[in-house]
Amino acid sequence: MQSKLSDIELIQHTLAGDQSAYTELVKRHQRFVFTLAMRFAKGREDAEEIAQDCFIKAYRSLASFQGQSKFSTWLYSIVYTTAMTFLRKKRVDTDSIDDENVFIQVESQSSAYDVNDAENKSRSFYLNKAIEQLLPDDAAIITMFYKGELSLEEIGQALGMETNTVKVKLFRARQRLKEKLERNLKHEAKELI
Amino acid sequence: MNNVEEKLWNYIDGNCTPGEQEAVSTLIAEDEAYRLKYQELLNLNISFSAMELDEPPMAFTYNVMEAIRTEHAQNPLKATINKRIIKGITLFFVITIAVLLVFTLTNIRLSGIGVPANVISAVKIPDIGKYTTKPVILGFLFFDLVLALYLFDNFLRRKNLQQQG
Repeated sequence: MQSKLSDIELIQHTLAGDQSAYTELVKRHQRFVFTLAMRFAKGREDAEEIAQDCFIKAYRSLASFQGQSKFSTWLYSIVYTTAMTFLRKKRVDTDSIDDENVFIQVESQSSAYDVNDAENKSRSFYLNKAIEQLLPDDAAIITMFYKGELSLEEIGQALGMETNTVKVKLFRARQRLKEKLERNLKHEAKELI
Repeated sequence: MNNVEEKLWNYIDGNCTPGEQEAVSTLIAEDEAYRLKYQELLNLNISFSAMELDEPPMAFTYNVMEAIRTEHAQNPLKATINKRIIKGITLFFVITIAVLLVFTLTNIRLSGIGVPANVISAVKIPDIGKYTTKPVILGFLFFDLVLALYLFDNFLRRKNLQQQG
């Protein structure tokens, strides 16, 4: 019954005291929120903490949601700020992710996977591996654009950026992702692209 | 930005103006290099769209709702009391006081006619001067000090909670 309701209707039910409506909202958005958190945290446990924290924060501030933007846009802005706070707390130097050393480490990990599991040699496996090697911002923008069903304007709202900035960042992120894919796959990349 | 790639990505994303769209379409149709680049980016776009979302743990929704329920349970009683009840009680007292005031005012005889003079003089106001000794005043001041410290502590705690929230 509740699965047919829109996000706004579920929010109204939640505000009226129906917690099961919020359960439905969590179920509806948890996969994307968790994936987005993974783009920043690079570990399932940390991503789970970020995603959980994000849904709790959203619940607390649900009454302040004006409905001027989509609920998902509002929710993803919470994911972004929560993830940033988390990274700051963890003192993770996000710039270092793009370092050659880290790349070699990740590359050697993927080589190990290559040998062990033929099943992992799927399109999405290599794509996810390449996304993991991107800067968190790049990975988040690509994920939001392709999986969040958000326009450039909405991504801008969620990340607190101008639409043109998002456009430039998306362009660069795609280029970097393409480079990572090519580097990771070498010969296999030709099958993909 | 690479101008050709930028134009092609805008074309693929549908972010071109009608004029730009037509120009890029013509270039793709006529220029072999453009067509190859377009095909490459289009394939990349399909690959990116096919990325899979990560699956959160099975108990994720339960954990979120449990954390919310725990937070609700920890709320102090004063925060969970319906404000309408408080307003209702306030209204009841205001009405009672107003009725009593009106009743009293309508029954007062300002002229004092009918009240014998000896009745007024017979009313004795107790002499409180004998109770205001030095230990009583010191005790009163000490009580005030403790009360002030308690209220100040409460104020600081609330401020701290607001900052954390």
